Amino acid sequence: MSARAPSQTSAAASVAQAGIGLAAAHRTAAPQMIKHVFIWPAVLVVLLVTLFPLIYALTISFQSVRLVPPAPARFIGLDNYAEVIQTARFWQATGTTSLIVFVSVGLQYVIGFAIALALYARVPGERLFRATFLLPMFLAPVAVALIARMMFHSAFGPVNDFFSLFGWHNLPFLTEARWAIGVLIVVEVWQWTPFVTLLMLAGLQGLPRDVFEAATLENASAWQQFRDVTFPMLLPLSVAVVFIRIIEAFKIIDTVFVLTGGGPGTATETLTLYAYQEGFKKFNLGYASALSFLFLVVIIVFGVIYLAVAKPIIERRT
Amino acid sequence: MTGRQALRWFGVVGCGIWLFLTLAPFWWVLTTAFKPPQAVSGGPTYLPFVDFQPTLNAFREAFAGLRGDFLGPFINSTLISITATAIAVLFGSMAAYALVRFQFRVRLLSGLLFAAISIGGYVLLTGVLGLPPPQTLGLCLVLALPLAILVNRLPLPGPVLKNDDISFWFVSQRMFPPIVSAFALYLFYVELGREGVRMIDSFWGMTLAYVAFGLPLAVWLMRDFFRAVPIEVEEAALVDDVPRLRIFFQIAMPMALPGLLATAMIVLAFIWNEFLFALLLTSADWQTLPVLLAGQNSSRGDEWWAIAVATLVSIAPMVVVAGALSRMMRSGLLSGAIK
Repeated sequence: MSARAPSQTSAAASVAQAGIGLAAAHRTAAPQMIKHVFIWPAVLVVLLVTLFPLIYALTISFQSVRLVPPAPARFIGLDNYAEVIQTARFWQATGTTSLIVFVSVGLQYVIGFAIALALYARVPGERLFRATFLLPMFLAPVAVALIARMMFHSAFGPVNDFFSLFGWHNLPFLTEARWAIGVLIVVEVWQWTPFVTLLMLAGLQGLPRDVFEAATLENASAWQQFRDVTFPMLLPLSVAVVFIRIIEAFKIIDTVFVLTGGGPGTATETLTLYAYQEGFKKFNLGYASALSFLFLVVIIVFGVIYLAVAKPIIERRT
Repeated sequence: MTGRQALRWFGVVGCGIWLFLTLAPFWWVLTTAFKPPQAVSGGPTYLPFVDFQPTLNAFREAFAGLRGDFLGPFINSTLISITATAIAVLFGSMAAYALVRFQFRVRLLSGLLFAAISIGGYVLLTGVLGLPPPQTLGLCLVLALPLAILVNRLPLPGPVLKNDDISFWFVSQRMFPPIVSAFALYLFYVELGREGVRMIDSFWGMTLAYVAFGLPLAVWLMRDFFRAVPIEVEEAALVDDVPRLRIFFQIAMPMALPGLLATAMIVLAFIWNEFLFALLLTSADWQTLPVLLAGQNSSRGDEWWAIAVATLVSIAPMVVVAGALSRMMRSGLLSGAIK
């Protein structure tokens, strides 16, 4: 027994050593393999659910496909695209969407930034404000549009009540093109200004305090401090926030769908709504696919122009 | 100093007005739900007990199902959004963790090769051989993916994409106008339906679409949260030879728990409120609340009390979520993360 014991222990030790060696090898090689376990589920979902259908839709956009009346698909090249570009309704929808996007994002940025500044300066009632200001962001746009529809009713709504105080009775909020676009912009601003406030406030809180102290010591006025310190320092964040809002705002359909249905006529029709109408009311699939890819092109063009304009401004300022 | 004082007052008044504008619609929808019909059609009324006698009729009607099915879409929305959020946050966290802790190198050439093989192969197989689209896409994936991975190991020239590029690739999915992918998915689901797999108006069809919808957001947010988790504990566990998956689930995830909860709530809100996919991909059985709500408009007309009840039911869960989130933010649980 005693003679065998050492050999046993040494065997155990060598096994343990081998184990450690294996573990070490495991440590160096395993991360290379295990990282794929972590990333592939997400990549596969994106490939399968987003990108592969896109390939399919892209091929459809070069074909003439109609479900009603059913006709066999045939390849027609760029005809769908040419047809979309020649349609006045496409350009009208692009114009309407752009108008809503740029006016509402501009207002969101100005109001949202102003509120963030006020909250940062700790105006009285700031705590109450912080508890509630996020709310609109979390509502379904469809629900917001339903509430807006009630509030902007031209006879029974409270907004009409308010305007009646000034002698303007029964304004055509939703039935006349200009008013309807105005209402859509108001709804967008109401819902998404909190997003700008949230991010700008986070940006303000991330700024170094001593810069403000130095500005106060130099007796800079509030406006000078804003113009020379706060605004330039937050410019990169501002560019990013406005970019996100523009991209998101271009997707608008829910509120339009409920509030005006694109009407009166097609005066408030946005790009997404137009594509939906073509694809699902007329079942003109090839055309609708081409339309949605052109929509993608519109967004990319706007995004590239925006970044091209914004980049030199950031670089000059900082 | 008077200038600053004036500015301060301006700020207070401005915030007050904005607060009023933020809350007024909530007040309106809340009171409208309790209004009897004559308090709606007789012009605007504001104060319960003063302007009108509140009644619970609208709620009774809604929950008794007198005016069409209302409970069904609510249950659908709950099931779909909770399942999709869970999967999206799980997959998203795993991908985000990998992007924070490991190095990835994807050659641009192999990415392009993947795109070329799958698009070219698809066009070739469906156009020339006439195979049905779903099978072809599956075949393309099976062919192109291993080939691209293999090519990625070769020392090819050209730029190499790193972790930041992969993260951007995930986030860029959200920059697509959803009509593009919703429409593509609709066509794809219809094709799958022809092959006998029911995806249109089905639980898994909607859930899968929403997993893809929430994933970019989850990856983007969780990446920041995992960055904030100290790496030392994980390194100690690695020395003790704890498997990576266990480290992830038992160390990294619990340490990022506040961020994980916040991410889950944000993703849940986005999925709960989503309208376009639901509009395109459901018809009767699996309709969600936003689609039901949008339909109220035409089916109910000026029956505002009923519309208000439906709206309240659909926004109530998200009001709770928003409240919980702003609480977490104020208590500093998410400090430095939301940027």
